Amino acid sequence: MDAGLIYTQTILAGVAMIAAYIVGKIFKLKTEICLLLTVIAGGLVGGAGLDLFRHMAEGSATFLDIALIFVFATLFMNILKESGGINFLVKKIISGFHNKKILLLILLMIIILIPGALTGAGSISVLVVGGTVAAALNAMGLTKKRTAAIIFIVAGLSAACPPVNVWAMMTCAGTAIPYVGFTFPLLIPVLITGLFTVLFLGRGAKNIDKEAALSEIESPKDYKSYKIILPFVLLIALLMASRIWPFDFPVLGLPLVFAICAFFAWILDAKAVNIVKITKKTVEDLTPLVATTIVVGMLLQIMSMNGTRGLISMLIVTAPVAVIFIMIPFVIPISEGVLTYGGAMVFGIPLIWMFNSMGLNPVIILAGLSLMWPLGDALPPTALIGRLTVSTAGYEGKYSSFLKECIVPWVVITVVGMIMVLFSNQLSFLMFTN
Amino acid sequence: MKSKIILIVALVVFMILAGMPLYQQRNFEEKIITGDSVVDVFKLSKYFEPLEGTVQDTNVYELKGEEPGGKVLIIAGTHENEPSAMTFAFFMVENMKVDKGTIYIIPHFNRSGSLGTQAGGGFPLYYDIDTEWGEKVFRFGDRGLQPLDQWPDPDVYVHYPEGQLLSYIDSRNTNRTWPGKANGTLAEQTTYAAMQMIEDEDIDIVIDLHEAETMYPVTNCIVVPEKSKPYAIGTSLFVKGREGFENHVEPSPTGYRGLSHREIGDYSDAYPFLFESPGAHLDQITAGKTVDLIVSGIDPFIMEAEKKGLLFVPYDENGFSMDRRVGQHSSVFQELMSQWSKKNKDKEVIVEVPKYADIVENGLGYYFKNPDEVDEDLVYIE
Repeated sequence: MDAGLIYTQTILAGVAMIAAYIVGKIFKLKTEICLLLTVIAGGLVGGAGLDLFRHMAEGSATFLDIALIFVFATLFMNILKESGGINFLVKKIISGFHNKKILLLILLMIIILIPGALTGAGSISVLVVGGTVAAALNAMGLTKKRTAAIIFIVAGLSAACPPVNVWAMMTCAGTAIPYVGFTFPLLIPVLITGLFTVLFLGRGAKNIDKEAALSEIESPKDYKSYKIILPFVLLIALLMASRIWPFDFPVLGLPLVFAICAFFAWILDAKAVNIVKITKKTVEDLTPLVATTIVVGMLLQIMSMNGTRGLISMLIVTAPVAVIFIMIPFVIPISEGVLTYGGAMVFGIPLIWMFNSMGLNPVIILAGLSLMWPLGDALPPTALIGRLTVSTAGYEGKYSSFLKECIVPWVVITVVGMIMVLFSNQLSFLMFTN
Repeated sequence: MKSKIILIVALVVFMILAGMPLYQQRNFEEKIITGDSVVDVFKLSKYFEPLEGTVQDTNVYELKGEEPGGKVLIIAGTHENEPSAMTFAFFMVENMKVDKGTIYIIPHFNRSGSLGTQAGGGFPLYYDIDTEWGEKVFRFGDRGLQPLDQWPDPDVYVHYPEGQLLSYIDSRNTNRTWPGKANGTLAEQTTYAAMQMIEDEDIDIVIDLHEAETMYPVTNCIVVPEKSKPYAIGTSLFVKGREGFENHVEPSPTGYRGLSHREIGDYSDAYPFLFESPGAHLDQITAGKTVDLIVSGIDPFIMEAEKKGLLFVPYDENGFSMDRRVGQHSSVFQELMSQWSKKNKDKEVIVEVPKYADIVENGLGYYFKNPDEVDEDLVYIE
């Protein structure tokens, strides 16, 4: 086919997709529906014909695991919440650290970092410990908006934190760069920016008035600590077992791990928890989020099919290097906001190839980019983890205000990430290899 | 209630319209015609029984010369979205005459991967090669095993036995699971079966056929561990001199585990070689993922990248066609046999099959016979 015609067809498909999204918004349709219209327009103008249905079905499976994780991890946490376990845990934290605010902030940061670091998903941090941490931060006098900002930023960092960084791993898989040497280039900036985040956003936090705080939190009087400890022990055990005995322990997958833990948590407190009601509520609450995950997979598929994905990537990688460096702080988070993990495939792979061919250190660059990708999880149209966080933290104000609250740590993380991208060779020592 | 019924009906219609093409592709039968040198066709499970009856129990074609000599295993379809590997395997089974030695060919090593495309990839379900009798149609597949056949994925893939952490996606990638594991995942069992075959048959050379992106440095090349290097260097030099195309040598990284060129070399006596030809459709920066792109390798967006010097292969408006990619595989393979035979007289391998120039001139389709017009005993289903 003629090159000019290919360009025209691709641009037309892109225009049709943007137009469909705008029309959806004009009619005040939900984001997921607007994205679905975008998919349909992109498919039809891109020439899919009846194959559009196949592309939609295939694309919908792209992030199936992530959608399942959302459902089962939330169910797990909702069961613990319903049984009173979360409030019990918050009470314990407040009792132990009510007069050590800095230590408490750092402890809470570590608590948020662990689930995401182990699973590579910031959403897991939000879902598993977000509620507990939010309650503790609120008790320290922080507003729900600021609480949400802390949880979102640190949860994002948890996803970037080693050992599991999905953006780096996906880019490594696509560029045949081994996923080795990432531990310290990821861990050190994550800890530095994480500490900055909790101390900056935690400014003004007060030592907790223990008695007043405890009296405000309801929990069943006869609640036994094992009911909340054992499900978490099981969760950590299942996550760790696959690392400790990787060749003997069966591959369960994160959705099943959370499903097992949810079932176990329910068994421990079956009388207090109406499992049918909780499951129904969980699925209802998560429907918009799961729908977004599914439709983003379709979008990724259709953008590949009609060439708009290639066109955008091409325009970026063929831009002058100086322009690329200027665009990175914007393109990386935006790609995450539009395509979630797909951004690593669309931009990460060509960027890493390009920088690698320039003689720059791909591991340090990829670690730097990995700090910026999770920031995009707060950006529309998907805003997957941002939406999840504000709901978990109970913040009901304007979403844009929540984003504004994130700005300072956002900028700091971007600066750190860009320093790693720009000075990758000079920072090679972070890999601690000869 | 009425709206719910409408929704359910719409969903059922959607599932039928979306599911039928996927079902048909999963059950689509590719026909391969065995040539004169094929003496046996059997399943990979011959070397590892637990694979029997699984989707990965793929066909192995044994081509034998009149004289004994060296033994070669050619693996195609490790990544089922790299089609010149499979079309080359079909071409070889149908056209290669083996004079000396034994050659085993596996056209769909990752058979599961050939039964569906990559979710989110936007690829067509089939591609076709023009022949004198019509279009020869092939399934277009995925890089890894289909989740339908191996699921769930771990959150991170720990390579066996080296323990290196790899992306969860790589747990279904049969070029990350070497040397395999008897009681492992289906992907690990597949590579384990191949390792058993290499051992049982005393294979001398293993060739793993691939395609790689034009923007990827390890493309248009032969990837080898240290022990295979002398043969690869000779091959590279001679194909450039005799055939006029570049095909450089890339060293197999010692710190990157699970790849055929690393583990087969480390865990067996065989000499591994991984051939990469440039598959433009694999690049991230292409226009729509169409059959034409897969077969012609022509893409205007890649041309823009070429102008900026971002590619690792010579690329112009003629693209990198399937004919060229298969032609390169053929010439590189034959030159490698020649290099090997020079240094291993007791294990010579002598073959006759069209090379690069012929394939580019005649077109790949010229070499495929019509399966409806040959003795049906010669036709096998892939």
